[in-house]
Amino acid sequence: MSKFLMLSALILTLMLTGCAGTPTENGLVVAIPTDPEGFHPHQSVAAASAEIAFNIYEGLVKAAPNGEIVPALATAWDISPDGLTYTFTLREGVKFHNSREMTPDDVVYCLERLFDSDVTAKARDFTTVESIEVQNKKIVIQLERPNSVFLALLTEFGAGIYPPEAEEQLSSQPVGTGPYVLTTWEPNNELVLTKFEQYWQEDLPKLNQVRLKIIPEPATAVNSLLSGSVNLIPRLEADYLHQVEDTELKIIDSPMNLVQLMAINNSVEPFDDLRVRQALNYAINREEIIEGAAWGRGTAIGSNLSPAMATWYKDQTSTYPYNPEKARELLAEAGYPNGFSATLHLPAPYPLHRSAGEIIANQLTEVGINLDLEVIEWGTWLEQINTNREYELTVVGLTGRLDPHTILNRYQSDSGRNISYFSSPEYDDLLEQGAIESDPDLRQEIYGELQTILAREASNVYIMDPSQLAVMSPDIEGWNNYPVYVLDLAPLDRAR
Amino acid sequence: MVWLRKITGMLATLLLVSMLTFFVLYLIPGDPALLILGTEADEQALDLVRSQLGLDRPLVSQFAGWLGGVIQGDFGESITFSRGYSVASLIANALPVTIPLALMAMVLSMLVAIPLGILLASRQGGRLDTIVLTLSQAGLSVPAFWLGILMIQYFAVDLGWFPAGDMPRWSSNPSGALVSLVLPSMVLALPRAAILIRIVRTAMLETLGEDYIRTARGKGVREFAVHTRHALKNAMISISTIAGIQLVQLLAGTVIVEQVFSLPGLGRLMLSAVLMRDLPLVQGTVFIGAALIFLVNFFLDIFYTILDPRIRGVGQNG
Repeated sequence: MSKFLMLSALILTLMLTGCAGTPTENGLVVAIPTDPEGFHPHQSVAAASAEIAFNIYEGLVKAAPNGEIVPALATAWDISPDGLTYTFTLREGVKFHNSREMTPDDVVYCLERLFDSDVTAKARDFTTVESIEVQNKKIVIQLERPNSVFLALLTEFGAGIYPPEAEEQLSSQPVGTGPYVLTTWEPNNELVLTKFEQYWQEDLPKLNQVRLKIIPEPATAVNSLLSGSVNLIPRLEADYLHQVEDTELKIIDSPMNLVQLMAINNSVEPFDDLRVRQALNYAINREEIIEGAAWGRGTAIGSNLSPAMATWYKDQTSTYPYNPEKARELLAEAGYPNGFSATLHLPAPYPLHRSAGEIIANQLTEVGINLDLEVIEWGTWLEQINTNREYELTVVGLTGRLDPHTILNRYQSDSGRNISYFSSPEYDDLLEQGAIESDPDLRQEIYGELQTILAREASNVYIMDPSQLAVMSPDIEGWNNYPVYVLDLAPLDRAR
Repeated sequence: MVWLRKITGMLATLLLVSMLTFFVLYLIPGDPALLILGTEADEQALDLVRSQLGLDRPLVSQFAGWLGGVIQGDFGESITFSRGYSVASLIANALPVTIPLALMAMVLSMLVAIPLGILLASRQGGRLDTIVLTLSQAGLSVPAFWLGILMIQYFAVDLGWFPAGDMPRWSSNPSGALVSLVLPSMVLALPRAAILIRIVRTAMLETLGEDYIRTARGKGVREFAVHTRHALKNAMISISTIAGIQLVQLLAGTVIVEQVFSLPGLGRLMLSAVLMRDLPLVQGTVFIGAALIFLVNFFLDIFYTILDPRIRGVGQNG
C-alpha cells in the first residue's frame, strides 16, 4: 500500500511542478486535424499542405482575403492586349529563408519546372504556356493562346518560388520567402513556424512563433481550446459549436467556398432521366439540412459555385425550390409512381456529409425513394467513387479555387474529375470560351451561364456552402478569411 | 535448443505477419496516390504520383524490395509524411510514447487490482466482494473513447489538473511528459484492472484452499503473511500470465486512447498509416508491434522460471 501512496505523492508533485505546456511568450498554438503531406510545391497536393505552405512560400502574385489577386514577389505585372504576353516586375531585395537574395533566374527555374508535365502533375493547368524568360530583370511569360485563369493559377501553392539549391530537401525542410520559417516538424505531433526576420514586409509577421498542434479528435481539440493549451481552431466541426458558444471564445463564421452536394451518377438508371434528377432536387429541403447537419451555419446553393466567389456567383437556389408534390409528379411521369430504391454512399471521416446524407434519406422517403446508406472509409470513397465512378449517389464537399474556371471545368464531358458523368455539348463549348475570354464582364456572363446549365440540367443536388467556423481565444486579432483553402498566420497577433 | 526453436519460430511468424499485412493492404480498396491527390485527382496526375512513389512496380518486387531493406535494417520511407521521413525514425519517435504509456497503465492496473483482489478473496461473498465485482463489471463495459473524453472534460478543462493531451518531449520536459500520460494511462488501466481483480481473487481462492496453506496456518503463521508470502506467491503464476497478455494488448491497443488524447504514439501512427494506405509505414509499425509482442512473451517465459522453479524442468522436457 505504501507504494501506492508514494506514487500518488509523486504524481501530485509532478502536477504542481511541471504542468502542461503553456503557450510560449508572443506565440500561438493552433490545432489542426492532420499532418500535411510534405511541402514541395511541385509534389505536395494535399489541402493540409497548401494551407500551411501559404505562410512559407510565395509566388509572383497571391490571393487577398476578398479573392482579388495582389502583388507578392512581383510588384506589378502587365498583360499584352492580345492576352498572350505576361510581364512581371520583380520585387527587389527579397530574401529566401536561407538568407540568399532571390534572383530572376530562381523564378524562371521554379516556374519552368511547374510547367513541365514530366516533373509535376500540376503542369496540367499550364498547357497553354509557350515560353518563360528573363528580359531586363523582368519575367516574361508567353502563352500559346489566351488563358484568363493564368494569373489566378500563379497564386497557388505550386507556383511558390524557392531556391534551386534547396530542391532535394523541400519536402520536409521547405525554403521559401514567406513570413514564417518551418523550424520543427514532428510527424503526428506538431509543426513549429518561426518568424522570418528578413521578410520583405517589415511589420509582418506579428508573432515570433506559431505551433501547429496535430489533434485528430475534434472533441480533444475543443477541450484543449477550453483549457487554454490551444489558442485557435481554424476549422471547427459544427457539431462541436455548442461547446464553445457561450464562452468568452471568439467565433468567426464565414463562407468557406466549399460546395457540398449530393452527387448523382448521371449515367446510370434511373438517374439518366432528367425528370428523376429534377425530382430529387425538388424533394430535398436544403434549409432543413443546413439546420440539421450544420447547425444553421451554412448558405444554401443551387449550382456548383459558392456565394463566397462573389464576383462570379449567380444564385440558382430558386431553380428547384422544395416541393415534394412536384417531385412525386415528376417521378410518376418518369415511370416511378411508387418511387424506387438506390444506394447513397457517405464518406466516414466527414460528419457533415454523413449527417446531410441521413437527413436526405429521410426527406426522400416522403416521395417514395428509399436510400440504403452505406458509410465508407475515405480511401475507399476516393477509389470507388471519385476514380472508378461506380456509384449511384454520394454526398461530398468540393473545395473551391480562386477562379471559377478551375472549379467548373470538372463538369466538362471528358474531364477525369467529372464524378457525375455530366455531359452537355453546350456546357463544353461555353467553358472553352470562358478560358480564352479576357473581358471581365463577358467572363462573368459566361460563368453565370455555366452555373445555370448545371442547375437547370439537375446535374446534382447542390446543397450548401458550409460556414468555416474559426474559434479562438478572445485576445487574438487579425484573423482573415479567404475564399481559398489557406491559413493566413502572418497578421495574427495577440492583444496585450 | 528450446530457445533456438523459439527464435526461429518468432522469425517465421514475423515474416508471415509482414506478408499478410502487405497483401491485405494491397487488396483492400484505396490507393495512396489517390489519397494524396484527393477529389482533384485525374488519371494523368495519378500516374505521375504513382511513379514518384514507386507504386507502379509489380507487387512482388515491391515486397521483395521492402524485405531486402528490412534485413539490412532499413524500413524504407513513409510516403505520406513527406518523402523525407524514414519509417524507422517515425517509429523511433513513437515508441517513447507508447511503451511508457503501456507500462504506466499496467503498473496502475496491478497496483489497484492485486491488493483489492487479495482483500476480496479473504472476504469471499461479503458485501465488499459483491460491490467491487459489480463495479468491475461496469469498468469492463465503459468504452475507452467515452471515458477519455469525459476525463479530459473533468480533469483538464474543469479542474485544470492535467493537460488535455499536449505531450512535450521527454528530453525537454520529462515531468510534463509524465503528467500528460497520467489520464490516458488511467483510461487504459481501468478495464484491465477490472479483469485483473477477478483473476487475482480466483487465483487466491484456489491457492488458499491448498494443503500447504492449511499447514502454514497450522504452524501459526499470521493471516497477513499467509495471504501475501504463501498464497500470493503461488497465485502469481496465473496473475502474471494474464498481466502479460494485457501488456501485449496495451502495446498494440493504445490506438483509441492515443487518438483521444492526441499522443504521438505507435497506435496513432499505425492508424494514420492505414488510413493513408502508407504501405511502408504500415509494414514498419506492424513489424515492430509484432516484434514487441514477441519480446514481452520472451521475458514472460524467463519470468515464469524465476517465479516458479518447477517450470524450468517442464520447459526442458517439452
